Amino acid sequence: MKERNNGAVLDAREIRKRFTEGKQTVDVLHGVDLSLHRGEIVALEGPSGSGKTTLLSILGCILTPTSGDITIEGDLVDIARPASLPAVRKRSIGFVFQQFNLFPALTALENVEYALNIKGIKGREATEEATRVLDDVGLGERASFLPRDLSGGQKQRVAIARALAGRSPILLADEPTANLDSQMGRQILDLFRDLAVKEDRALLIVTHDPKVRAICDRVIEIQDGRLAA
Amino acid sequence: MPDLALKTLVHDKLRFFITVSGVAFAVTLGFVQVGLFMGLMDNATVTIRKMDADIWVTSRNTPNIDFAHAFPESYVQRVRAVPGVADADNLIVWFMNMNLPSGAQEGVEVYALEDFSKWNIPWNVSEGNLDDLRRGNFVFLDDSGIRRFGPFQLGEYREILGRKLRIIGRTQEAESFTTTPMVFMDYELAQALNPDELQNRTTYMVVRLLPGADMDAVKAEIAHLLPYNDIYTRDAWAAQSKRYWVESTGLGLNMYLTVFLGCLVGIVVVAQTLYSSTMEHLREFGTVKAIGGSNADIYSILIKQASIAAVVGFILGAAMAYAMRPAIASINLKLIITPELAVAVFIGSIVMCLASALVSFRKVASIDPALVFRG
Repeated sequence: MKERNNGAVLDAREIRKRFTEGKQTVDVLHGVDLSLHRGEIVALEGPSGSGKTTLLSILGCILTPTSGDITIEGDLVDIARPASLPAVRKRSIGFVFQQFNLFPALTALENVEYALNIKGIKGREATEEATRVLDDVGLGERASFLPRDLSGGQKQRVAIARALAGRSPILLADEPTANLDSQMGRQILDLFRDLAVKEDRALLIVTHDPKVRAICDRVIEIQDGRLAA
Repeated sequence: MPDLALKTLVHDKLRFFITVSGVAFAVTLGFVQVGLFMGLMDNATVTIRKMDADIWVTSRNTPNIDFAHAFPESYVQRVRAVPGVADADNLIVWFMNMNLPSGAQEGVEVYALEDFSKWNIPWNVSEGNLDDLRRGNFVFLDDSGIRRFGPFQLGEYREILGRKLRIIGRTQEAESFTTTPMVFMDYELAQALNPDELQNRTTYMVVRLLPGADMDAVKAEIAHLLPYNDIYTRDAWAAQSKRYWVESTGLGLNMYLTVFLGCLVGIVVVAQTLYSSTMEHLREFGTVKAIGGSNADIYSILIKQASIAAVVGFILGAAMAYAMRPAIASINLKLIITPELAVAVFIGSIVMCLASALVSFRKVASIDPALVFRG
């Protein structure tokens, strides 16, 4: 469904989220508006419990909001139909997780290839694309390594390569440097920024890390489910 | 496409070994239980199947070939006169006791005919000439008796019901359902050994039809002439003998119960290992969902893993069952593994493993992909 197109690749309006457990209800997000543009790098900061992971999950179409609209690449996401969300994730979103979340039984190349297969890219095309992004993150030499044989920084590079593969316009990263030492964290951030800008992707990074601010075009703060003015 | 199912399955080698062992255990149990059962059933009907007789006449309500009752031998004259009958002879099947050199006694199952060669029994003669049985106090012994009677040689004597009989031949594979070895002797000799019950009496008549004869018409005519006997075709008599052992002794129930328990153990082991594997890989399955995979993608992984476990477990289980055959044969038991049984066990293994995988499906369906954001 075509909705609005203000140039943003991702546009979220009036996002609210209420969790109910038994008789208790908790309002986590209170009408959040957020836009991401191609080539833009945005940091989302906030204290624990402020709602940033919930917002990230909603923007990534993993979680449905209680109310509000999300538009991705000009198409309104049908949040009333959760079964439609995997297709949106396949097409438009790449994730980088704090815990890397690589498949331990697959090599670096296969981890990226598998994600491409899920996105519908298969065979030689998938292998070539996986090889390309692994080369981009500097891991071409270690494509045949299992995750257990890679360092933390190398694992996160594989995770970044997996997110970049398939040319999803939106990259969402959850604390990508939290499990890395400061030097490795800096390298990963520089790499991530360079690749996102080079490939004209929109990148949203949820972080506590002050170093992240330095590479971002914008910093958004969230507190008690509301974006700071 | 990277084979996530296979690679994840074999990545944890210990778990894979346990899963496959569970399947292999159930498969081996299935093969051995059913194979032994089929071996016993084979014994129960081996003489019926091997004998060149189209029709069997028994005394009324004889339950199976081993538990015979006597009736007048003169009835055979009536049967020989029936149109369509080529040959009809009396056959005695009777349990007797044999005295062993050690002083102990063992039971034997005597098969007595006037002309063994004519009826293709015994069918596997390793030493001796069957025609010599007519000439006196002679017997053929089956090799299956060695474990009970000890080794024997041609020319030695054994005493049956007080009469010394010379061993003049050796047979193989002639063993009854009860694993009692068979002894072959002349028809009149068997009657002479037990005159109280067998004088002028027989326990069966075996009948061979002329080519093109109408089986039903011949059976009907014999039934008309011998109203106090039962008349069976070969297949019907074999089925009746099997049915007796399966239904009257609880043997069938025992087999089904053991196979069921084997499958149950297999399902529990496979389901448990697959489920714990699923629990251990929840984050990875969550990742599959997060990057756009559906429940169906994960179900296909579980189904593939279950199928691989079934195939590998089947191969191992079948190999173990085959490896056990010589040991089982050494105690005079037959383990029969037919292609039909192998196919049935293979299908059973697949079904068992897929049923086990279903336990994990609910868990997979409830995986929240947002768990990938949790530390």
